[in-house]
Amino acid sequence: MASPVAQFELKSYGPQIEVGGVDLSFTNSAAMMVVAIVGIVAFLTVSMSGRKLVPGRWQLMAELSYEFVANMVKENVGSEGRKYFPFIFSLFMFILFSNLFGMVPIPEIHYTPTSQIIVTFAMAFVVFIGVTLIALARHGLKFFTFFFPSGAPVYMAPLLIPIEVISYFVRPVSLSVRLFANMMAGHTMLKVFGGFVVALGVFGVAPLALIVALTAFEILVAVLQAYVFTILTCLYLHDAIHLH
Amino acid sequence: MKRLLRFSAVLGGTGAFALIAKGAMAASESGGGGTLPQLDVGTFPTQIFWLFVTFIVLYIAMSKVAIPRIEYVLEERHSRIAEDLDKAGKLKADAEEVQANYEKALADARGSAQKLIAKTKDDASGKNAKAEAEADAAAALQVKEAEARIDEARTEALANVQDVVSEVAGDAVAKLIGVKVTKTDLKKAVALAMETK
Repeated sequence: MASPVAQFELKSYGPQIEVGGVDLSFTNSAAMMVVAIVGIVAFLTVSMSGRKLVPGRWQLMAELSYEFVANMVKENVGSEGRKYFPFIFSLFMFILFSNLFGMVPIPEIHYTPTSQIIVTFAMAFVVFIGVTLIALARHGLKFFTFFFPSGAPVYMAPLLIPIEVISYFVRPVSLSVRLFANMMAGHTMLKVFGGFVVALGVFGVAPLALIVALTAFEILVAVLQAYVFTILTCLYLHDAIHLH
Repeated sequence: MKRLLRFSAVLGGTGAFALIAKGAMAASESGGGGTLPQLDVGTFPTQIFWLFVTFIVLYIAMSKVAIPRIEYVLEERHSRIAEDLDKAGKLKADAEEVQANYEKALADARGSAQKLIAKTKDDASGKNAKAEAEADAAAALQVKEAEARIDEARTEALANVQDVVSEVAGDAVAKLIGVKVTKTDLKKAVALAMETK
């Protein structure tokens, strides 16, 4: 039986692309990212092509996804978050579609880009850097008061400041590991139970039933983790704009 | 929302736990050499590169095409609904005005009808009073005339009585004492006698 984590290995397609000795080949992960963005663009443009006053099902879904993220930004960031809405919306749709397409067994290229720590970390790191730059641009040196909660007694500073600094710098790690671990654990679990189905023969019906339930659960996790990643991004952005 | 976050944290925790368990299992299965493919640093550049390429393309597509399109539709629907509500409000106001006019006309008609009734009543009662007064006056006149006639008749009758009495008295005096009394004396005497009576 193949290792349950073998599914996370990358396969490269096409010509070997090397830039300055660094391998940038097109892989199944990249293929699924392309599938995800094509899916998103198709979903949002084809469904809205009618521009109907009374929306149909597809148009309604596109509008709902827009309003879902728009409300999230409005409630958690405020009106200043309007500028960053396209980024947050893209982020949400990208993670959501990557997670969901990862559940679809597309032959050859089947892969979940968000099950790669480097992918989730890159996204979380961009969010972290962006949020820190926004905070510095808006508040200048006052930004550093963020690390000492106002109202706390001064003698607590030696304890509080390290805690706040660590919790701030841990943000990209927790943000990326949460998504990566959820996706990876889910897919590993499905693979393990899939192995049981084959190994147990007729009695494989039991793990098969479990896989059906787990698949539904994984779809929930896929949506939920996209939501969590996005809402935490919104909360960090709120901190950057309002400083607590 | 907090509950959701806590829930996801729990999920994350179980996920991490499962990850450790599965990782250990994988390591034992593939004969000790099993490391997670995710930790293969050699694959990082290509993944980051393609992530950025696809995400930037997505971002441009979202901010330039998809989001404006959705916003346009939502805005149009919003303004259309507001417009329709406006129109409905205007129509309602119009209807209310029409109703008010109708009610005013009705009230006016009712008022003028009442006025007409009152006037007619007044006229009728005035006419009645006048007719009554006229009738009263006519009756009074007739009574007066009748009284005058009765007086006249009485005086005439009295005068006749004096004449007859004086004649009878004259005749009686002549027969009794044979003295001829002149008519004027007789009349005087009779008048005197009647007055003293």
